[in-house]
Amino acid sequence: MKKIIITLAIFILASVAGYSVINAQTDAAEIMQKSHMAYFYAADDGVADVTMKIINKKGKERIREFTMLRIDLVEGGEQKYYTYFKKPSDVSRLTFMVWKNPNASDNRWIYVPAVDLVKQISADDKNSSFVGSDFTYEDVSGRHWSEDSHRLISESETLDGKETYLVSSTPVEKYKGFAEKKTWIDKTSFLPLKEEYYNDKGKLVRVFTSDKIETIDGIETVTQRTMENVKKKQHTTIYFNEISYNTGLTDDIFTERYLKTPPRKYIK
Amino acid sequence: MRELLTKFSINHPLMVIGLVVLVTAFFAYQLTDIRIDTDPENMLPEDEPVRLFNDAVKEDFGISDFIAVGVVIEEGAFTQIQLDRIFNITEEIAEIEGVIADDIMAPSMVDDIRQGGGNTMVVEPLMGEAPKSDEEAQYILGRIKDNPILRGKLASDDGKALALFIPIESKDQSHRIAGEITAITEKYGGDETYHIAGLPVAEDSFGKEMFGQMIFSAPMAGLIIFILMYVFFRNFRIIIPPMIVAVTSIIWTMGALVMTGNAVHIMSSMIPIFLFPIAVLNSIHIISEFHDRFGRYKHKEATIRHTIGELFLPMLFTTATTVVGFLSLVTNNIPPVQVFGIFVAFGVAAAWLLSITLNPAFAMLLPDKALRNFGVKSEDDSHSLLATVLQSIRKFTSRRYRAILLTAASVVIVGAVGLSMMTVNDNPVKWFKADHPMRIADQELNKHLAGTYMNYLVIDGGEADAIKNPELLAYIDKLQRHLEKNEIVGATAGITDIVKKVRFELYGGVDRTKYSLPTDQDEVGQNLFVYEMSGGDPDDLFKLVTDDYSMANVWVQMTAGDNQAVSGVVADAEEYMINNPSPVAFEHHWAGLPYVNVVWQDKMVSGMRLSLLISFGIVFLMMVALFRSPIFGLISMLPLTITIVAIYGAIGYIGKPYDMPVAILSSLTLGLSIDFAIHFIQRAKTIHKRTGNFRETLTGIFEGPGRAISRNVLVIAIGFVPMFFSNLVPYITVGTFFFAIMTVSGAVTLLLLPAISIVLRRKLFPTTVGRKDKSQIKEGALQS
Repeated sequence: MKKIIITLAIFILASVAGYSVINAQTDAAEIMQKSHMAYFYAADDGVADVTMKIINKKGKERIREFTMLRIDLVEGGEQKYYTYFKKPSDVSRLTFMVWKNPNASDNRWIYVPAVDLVKQISADDKNSSFVGSDFTYEDVSGRHWSEDSHRLISESETLDGKETYLVSSTPVEKYKGFAEKKTWIDKTSFLPLKEEYYNDKGKLVRVFTSDKIETIDGIETVTQRTMENVKKKQHTTIYFNEISYNTGLTDDIFTERYLKTPPRKYIK
Repeated sequence: MRELLTKFSINHPLMVIGLVVLVTAFFAYQLTDIRIDTDPENMLPEDEPVRLFNDAVKEDFGISDFIAVGVVIEEGAFTQIQLDRIFNITEEIAEIEGVIADDIMAPSMVDDIRQGGGNTMVVEPLMGEAPKSDEEAQYILGRIKDNPILRGKLASDDGKALALFIPIESKDQSHRIAGEITAITEKYGGDETYHIAGLPVAEDSFGKEMFGQMIFSAPMAGLIIFILMYVFFRNFRIIIPPMIVAVTSIIWTMGALVMTGNAVHIMSSMIPIFLFPIAVLNSIHIISEFHDRFGRYKHKEATIRHTIGELFLPMLFTTATTVVGFLSLVTNNIPPVQVFGIFVAFGVAAAWLLSITLNPAFAMLLPDKALRNFGVKSEDDSHSLLATVLQSIRKFTSRRYRAILLTAASVVIVGAVGLSMMTVNDNPVKWFKADHPMRIADQELNKHLAGTYMNYLVIDGGEADAIKNPELLAYIDKLQRHLEKNEIVGATAGITDIVKKVRFELYGGVDRTKYSLPTDQDEVGQNLFVYEMSGGDPDDLFKLVTDDYSMANVWVQMTAGDNQAVSGVVADAEEYMINNPSPVAFEHHWAGLPYVNVVWQDKMVSGMRLSLLISFGIVFLMMVALFRSPIFGLISMLPLTITIVAIYGAIGYIGKPYDMPVAILSSLTLGLSIDFAIHFIQRAKTIHKRTGNFRETLTGIFEGPGRAISRNVLVIAIGFVPMFFSNLVPYITVGTFFFAIMTVSGAVTLLLLPAISIVLRRKLFPTTVGRKDKSQIKEGALQS
C-alpha cells in the first residue's frame, strides 16, 4: 500500500513537473516574442537622433552621432532602416540603409560622400560589429525569437525594483554570437532590462543593460542602453536624444536615391 | 687564520661534518620554494623602457605574441583535402586553453574584402567553410595573393606553403600550446609535416629543454669527473669527499638563490654545471698533493697539515680570482646575469670553504688501513705515465723555450686577428642545434613565407586623427615599400594597406589605379568607416592603428631573427626616415620580441666587455699583491690572456657569433685560466725558497704541482666532453669552453711559464745557495 502511494506520488509529481516544463517553454517563447515586438517594433515607424559613445578600456571615448529612421513593413517581420551620420566629422553626410529580412540575409547599402558612391555591402554576418561599436547589427535590428529555443528560468526575479521574467535562450543552430543568452524582461513593458551573453565555454562575454526608460508618445522606450564587452573591458552606450513615433515615413525614402540626398524633413 | 679552519677540521671532524649537514639541510629546505622562469624578456629589468614600450604597444594595439604553424608541400598546399585538414586543425586550435581564438590568423579566421554579386562589397572570412574542390582551394590562394594584408603571410605565392598564426595569452604557455597543436595536427594531418616556429615557442621550449638538459648534464659531468678521479687516485674513500663538496656547494648556492626570492632563470639554471667542476678543482689539488706526500710522511694528520699549509695561499687566490671574475658580472645591467654572477661567486667561495674543511675532516675519519696503499706507489714510481709525460714536458720547455715563446707570440697575434673578425650576433632560435625540429621549422617557414619574426614600428602622430592625414599615410606607405625591399623583410602591414584595399574594392575592384591612397582626409576617414560598417572586425583594424587614429602600427615581418639582421632592418628604416624627411612630423618607436632581444643583447655585450676589463684589472692587482712583484703579476696574467685570445680568436675564425652564452663564458675563462698560473708560480716560489736553485725548482714544479695541474686539466676537460653532444647549442658552448679553458690554460702554464722562467731566471729565481750550483744553471745543464 505504502509502495503504491509513493509510486503514485512520484507519478503525479513527474507529470506536473513535465507539464510545467512544456508550459514554461511556450511561455518563454511567448515572452521573448512580446519583448522583441516591444523593443524592435515600437509603433509603425520611428525617427531618432542618436549619440553613441564607445568607451575603451582606457576610458577614452569615441563618439558617433546619427539620425536613424525606421519603418516596419510587417509587424515582427520586414523592416527598413536609414541612418544619416553627423559625427565623427570626417564621415558627416555618410548614409547607410538596411533592409532587414528576418528569414534571409539583410540588404545593406552605404553612400560614401567623399567619392559620391553608393555601394552595397554584404550582410551575411549579422554578428559583426555595428559601426565599430560593441553592439552588433543584430543587437540593433533584432534577432528573431524563433532562431533560439527559450526557457523560463524564473518568473519572480526583481531587477532594480522591477518584476522581471528571466529567460534563457540557446541558439537552435550553432551560432558564433553566443551559446546562451539570459534576458531579464520587465513584466509590464516587456522591454529587456538586461541581457547576458555567454560563449560555448560558459564564460560571460557581453552584457546589455537598459539604462533609461522613458515614455514617448505613450510608448515605453529604452532611451539609453549600454553593451559591455567583458573581455575587451570596453563598452558602448547609445543615447536616443529625440524620438518620435508614427511620423508617417514612407517606404520610398528607404531607397538608393535618398541615400545621396537625405530627406531633409526628417534630418536636420 | 690559515691554520685555524684546517686545525679545527682535523681536531673536530664530526662536528665539522655535522655543521655542514645542518647548513645543507637548511639550504636544501629553501629549494622547496623554487620558481622557474624561462622568459628571455626577463633579461631586461621590468621597468626597462623598451620592455615597457613593448608592453604598451601590445596593450594599445591588442597584439599578442604568436606561434606560427606552417606546412610546406612541394606539390602545393592549396588542395581541397589539405585545406579541409587546415580548417579542422584551426577549429580545434581555437579551443586550446591560452589561445586567443578571436585573433587567430588562419584562412578560416581572417576577413577578406572582395566583390560580391551586383555591386556588392563583401567583408567576410576568407575561408568560411572548408572548400569542396581543388578549384575552390586555388581560389582561396588567389584571394590571399590579392590581399596585401594576407599575401606572403598566410601562403607563399606558389601555394606550396601555408601558415597559421596563433596568438597566445602569455609566452610561458607556448611550449605547452605547441605540444597541443602538434597533437591536433597529428590527429587531422596526413603525411605532410607541420612546422611550429616563432620566438615565443622557441624561447619557452628552450627554457624547458634547458632544465631537462641540466638534470641530465650536471650529474653526467659529475659521474665522469668521479670516474677520472678514481683512475688517478684509486681510492673511493678519498675521492668521495670532493663529490660531496661539489654537491653541497651547489645545494647551498641554489638554496641561497631561491631563499633570496630569485627565480631560477635560464642563466641561473646553468649554475650547477658551472659550479661542479670549479668546486672539484681545489679538492683535486688537495688530494693530489696529499696523495704525493702521504707516501713520504706516512702520517695522516701531518700530511694534511702540510698539504693545506702549502696550498692555502694558491687556493685562496685561485678562488678569489674566480669570485672576482663572476662578481664582475654585477656591473652588467642585466638582472639574470647579475644574479648568475653573484651566486656562482657565492658557490665558488662556499666550495673553497668546504674543500679546506670537509676534505681534512673526512680524511681524519678514515681508518689508517684504508690509506695503506694510498699514494705509496706513485711516490716511489717516478715512471708513472703522468710523471713521465711531465718530465718530458719539462725537458722540452728547457730545450725549446725559444720556440715556445715564439709560438705563444704567434698565437696571440693570430688570435688577435681572429678577435677582430668576431661578430656579435644572437638568435634564441639558434640556441637549438641545426637539426632540431625548431630550427627546421624556422628554416622552412622563413624560406617560403613572409617570416616568423615580427617587429612593430609605431608612428605616433601626437593627436587624434593624425594618422588620417593623407600626407602622413603616403609617407608611411613609402616607408613600408622601402622596407619591403630589405632582404629579410618578408612583408609589412599597415593601416595604409586597409585604406587602399577598401578604396579599390569600393570602386568596384577592377580599376588598379584606385589601388592607392586617397589625397583627401575625409575620404580616408570614410574608407575606414566603410571597413567598420561592412563587417570588418574593428579589432583587426585597431591592431594597425589606435582607435583615436593618433598612432599607427606598421607590422614588419621578417624572415630572420638574428640580432644583426633585425638591427639591419631597424637601421634601414631609420636611415630612410633621415634621408627622406616626412612632410608631417611624428615620433616613432620600435617594439616586438626580435627588437627587445636586440636591445638586451646589445646591453649584454657592451656590459660584458666592461665586466671583463674590470675583472682583468682587479685580477692583475691581486696577482701583484699575491706575488709582491709586478713582474710575477704580469707573467701570471699570460696564461689567462693567451687563453682568452686563443679561445675568442678561434671563435672569430670559426665564424661563431659572439652570443649570450659566449659572452657569459668570458667571466668563467678569466676566473679559471689564471688558476694554474697561480699554483705554478706560488708553488715555484715556495720550492725555490727551499732549494734556492732554479734547476731544482723547475724539476720540483713538474712533480707535485705539475701532476695536480695535469690531473685537473684531464678531469675537468674530459668531464665536459659529453656536453659536446647536447641538443642545445649553449650547452655545447659551455662544454667546449670548459674543455678549452682547461687544456689551453694548462698547456700555456706548463709550457710558457717554464720557458719564460728560463729566460728571466736571474730576475725571477735568483740563486741563493752555493756557488757550485750556479755553474749548473747554464742552459746546457738545463737540457739534461
